[in-house]
Amino acid sequence: MPSSSDSGRPADGPAGWSGWAAPVLPVGLRASVRATVTDADTAAAMGSGDVPVLATPRLLALAEAAAVAAVGPSLPAAFTSVGTSAALEHRRASLPGAEIDVEAELTEVDGQRLVFSFIARAADTEEDVVIGAGTVERVVVDRARFLARAAQNPAVDRG
Amino acid sequence: MAEVRAEMVANVWQVVASQGDSVADGDALVILESMKMEIPVLAEAAGTVTKLAVAEGDVVQEGDLIAVIE
Repeated sequence: MPSSSDSGRPADGPAGWSGWAAPVLPVGLRASVRATVTDADTAAAMGSGDVPVLATPRLLALAEAAAVAAVGPSLPAAFTSVGTSAALEHRRASLPGAEIDVEAELTEVDGQRLVFSFIARAADTEEDVVIGAGTVERVVVDRARFLARAAQNPAVDRG
Repeated sequence: MAEVRAEMVANVWQVVASQGDSVADGDALVILESMKMEIPVLAEAAGTVTKLAVAEGDVVQEGDLIAVIE
């Protein structure tokens, strides 16, 4: 029987299932990412709009990156998290050159399912300027099994 | 007799047990896939699988019959 060893996997799952019980993480884990808005980050460049300000999907990517960073160090090596849901308010436009800081905190854990809240603030001013906020949900998966499963799924989801 | 039913909308990813199998409490019967997760459906009692109502690739709704164990 496999045990938690060099693979970083925890104990075996139920009989008849070759999967693995995902680790349960504690709420309160948090991390921040800081970024400077570049021309490549704008809505015009990303195709999500036609003005040269920080694109909303780019802000979401930063929020997801902060969420990944919040739990990554607590996950065994064989596991990672993947995104499943997001809700985002983008409250304020940021021009290229602006520095922003996005902090995510793990606020809810339901088995594999992780809920994070995040807040994005201007990092180049003394004032507390909120650029955006929201929640993202991710689930913990075994990286290799997840990729193998994705490769076998049809391109168009049956669900 | 114990009926095992789906607790959520999901795709049937793998059917682990076969009709006629003897299973123990806690054995996986099928693996569902929902929201990118693998969710094993377990036998809640020991017995014989007398019916397997799903096949790989099926979509199950909440409450759908998955298997019968007697």
